[in-house]
Amino acid sequence: MMTVRWGMSIDLDKCTGCGACQVACMQENNMPIFEEDSDIPKRVTFLDLMKVTNDYERGKNYGEVQVAFVPKMCMQCSGNDPQNPHPPCVSVCPVVATDVGEDGVVSQIWSRCIGCRYCQAACPYEARVFNWWKPRYESDFKKGLNPDVSVASRGTVVKCTFCSHIWKRERDKAIAQGEKDINKVTYTPACVSACPTGAIVFGDLNNPNSPVYETRLKNDPRAVRMVHSIDHQPEDERQRRLRIKEFPNPKVYYLSSQKWLRDIISGFQNS
Amino acid sequence: MKRTLLLIFLPFFVFAFLSYVVFLKACDYAMSNHPEKPLPFNHKSHGEYLKKLGAGDCEYCHGFYANGRFKGIPDIATCKSCHNGSTAAEKAMFKNYRDTDRPWGSYAKQADLVYFSHIAVLKNTKEARCTSCHGDKKNSMTTAKTGRIMGRMPMGRCMDCHTALRISNTCLVCHD
Repeated sequence: MMTVRWGMSIDLDKCTGCGACQVACMQENNMPIFEEDSDIPKRVTFLDLMKVTNDYERGKNYGEVQVAFVPKMCMQCSGNDPQNPHPPCVSVCPVVATDVGEDGVVSQIWSRCIGCRYCQAACPYEARVFNWWKPRYESDFKKGLNPDVSVASRGTVVKCTFCSHIWKRERDKAIAQGEKDINKVTYTPACVSACPTGAIVFGDLNNPNSPVYETRLKNDPRAVRMVHSIDHQPEDERQRRLRIKEFPNPKVYYLSSQKWLRDIISGFQNS
Repeated sequence: MKRTLLLIFLPFFVFAFLSYVVFLKACDYAMSNHPEKPLPFNHKSHGEYLKKLGAGDCEYCHGFYANGRFKGIPDIATCKSCHNGSTAAEKAMFKNYRDTDRPWGSYAKQADLVYFSHIAVLKNTKEARCTSCHGDKKNSMTTAKTGRIMGRMPMGRCMDCHTALRISNTCLVCHD
């Protein structure tokens, strides 16, 4: 029985917007390079590097304008009750192509997907993307494909799964070294290992020794979760909101010391 | 009346039977490539000899790499660890055969989305052994197809065992 819950924290103060995480993600997950990738609504990418600014009204003076880059992947939502995960995308799938693992990672099996795109509509973060085109690779690109990940065909929904094939690889390695406890297996997703400044940190949310211990992150004034209105609320108000609405409760935390950025990410001025 | 009913439904029965046969053949064809091997390998005599030496089960040849990957078909160096190439047949074999030769295909090719981990299944359970999927390969005298797997490995068998042993049955355990 797995007790780990994988989670991620992204320190936006350290992020330089270099895009190495996006490149590593595309490479690791066998994403073809489409001609239309500059077309944002039809772009097929697991990890989206968004550029945000505090000057959307164009009213700031010179020197006051600030820009930040926000890497956005699947938030691996757990719903109101993390013990009984209930992401918005799982219950709408008519063919059970997506479900939640014991470690809280939301799966997406492309070959089972029929492309109805309900999950894409249900996702609050637009983390799921639809494969519009048949995957085509340039001449020698196909030899460099990752054998652990299947290539998603045209007409399926794809998304980030926290590189769970790397977890399987590390699990096999741990078994070969004689490890019996599955909770001792640790791994690093591709975006985390590619980040040159160490802005993205990955680990177990339940472990107090982990860099992403959830209780510590929740009390961190710099931490904020994307489009989530129950963080940094008083406890009784939080409980009241939890009763009236199902919240996605994502497992990816953003850390920023700048208030305008936290407001933009959380989507609520008072969070 | 009964005969009329039978005549009406006969085409359906025939169609169902034929599609069942075609399905089986297609599965075999799609999933098992090259069932006949270029070398008449005798598993039985090799197994008995290795047992006499004290080397374990199938793992001497079909073992694992240090990172837990399944080796599958052994390479020529594994043969050379016992055979020194003294006889004429061995000489010809070592001269002509290379590891990069393609014809040694696998018996059961998994679909692209399956991440089947041999080491996780074999080291952590006592129920699943090599024979439970690959048939009685240990006592076979040739490299022809034997028994159970026949190129098919339905997901239900994996899931039944996972349920019985209370192992997680969620998609990401085996699929990617």
